[in-house]
Amino acid sequence: MSVDIEINVVGKACPMPLITLAKEVRNLEQGQTVRITGNDPIFEESIVEFCREGCHEIVETKREGKTVTMIITV
Amino acid sequence: MDKKKVTILLQSGDLDKALCAFIFANGYASLGIEVKMWFMIWGYNCLKKRRSLFSLFRRKPDPAREGAYRVLDTDNILQPLVETLNRGGAQHLPMSRLNLMGLGPFLFDKMLKKKSIMGLEELIKSADDLGVKFKMCQICFDALGNSVDDLIVPNVEVQGVASYARDTMEAHVNLFI
Repeated sequence: MSVDIEINVVGKACPMPLITLAKEVRNLEQGQTVRITGNDPIFEESIVEFCREGCHEIVETKREGKTVTMIITV
Repeated sequence: MDKKKVTILLQSGDLDKALCAFIFANGYASLGIEVKMWFMIWGYNCLKKRRSLFSLFRRKPDPAREGAYRVLDTDNILQPLVETLNRGGAQHLPMSRLNLMGLGPFLFDKMLKKKSIMGLEELIKSADDLGVKFKMCQICFDALGNSVDDLIVPNVEVQGVASYARDTMEAHVNLFI
């Protein structure tokens, strides 16, 4: 699936993934998509919270071992 | 619906507590919540620029530079003394437990780096980027002889208890650390 922005936060710990995502999402318009990859133990949980708070939609969640890839529509 | 608001009051100058406050501030701000951080007494130590002891001795109160939020004519020898003993600086804060004469914060910093967790100074920078508002208490500012130019973040507002009361009454959450 093609996305507008790729964010890679593998190896970054809380709250770095959240901050990076928030800074990127601020520059996007409604309907654009973001793919974010991370391997923090609470990565998925914090992205789900972020989407619930900002009314964003989670399109896809893929887990490969500890690495989680999520696609979000702003 | 109104925009959600949070206020955080940082009173402590310990590394662990300041770290806590700034992680919360960053978390709230990245969820799009409006965050106002208040600093009192030792809380502003984490925002202070670390100056050498010599520069502190050389500095004289300059009415043009720090007159805006200060009452200079009641200053005496104690204000420079406090500033000399309490130099602050985000990288030089002590810890509330296991300080071990300064060894504790050093090892703590190493641990955070190894786990690629952000340090206090990075968290302050990123909070500033995310639009967290920093506010100071005027009487602490005045009594402890600090200056707006001595802080690592720009656009710090210096206000009083009335503004704090208004901010907290408007906010959904108030944290006192």
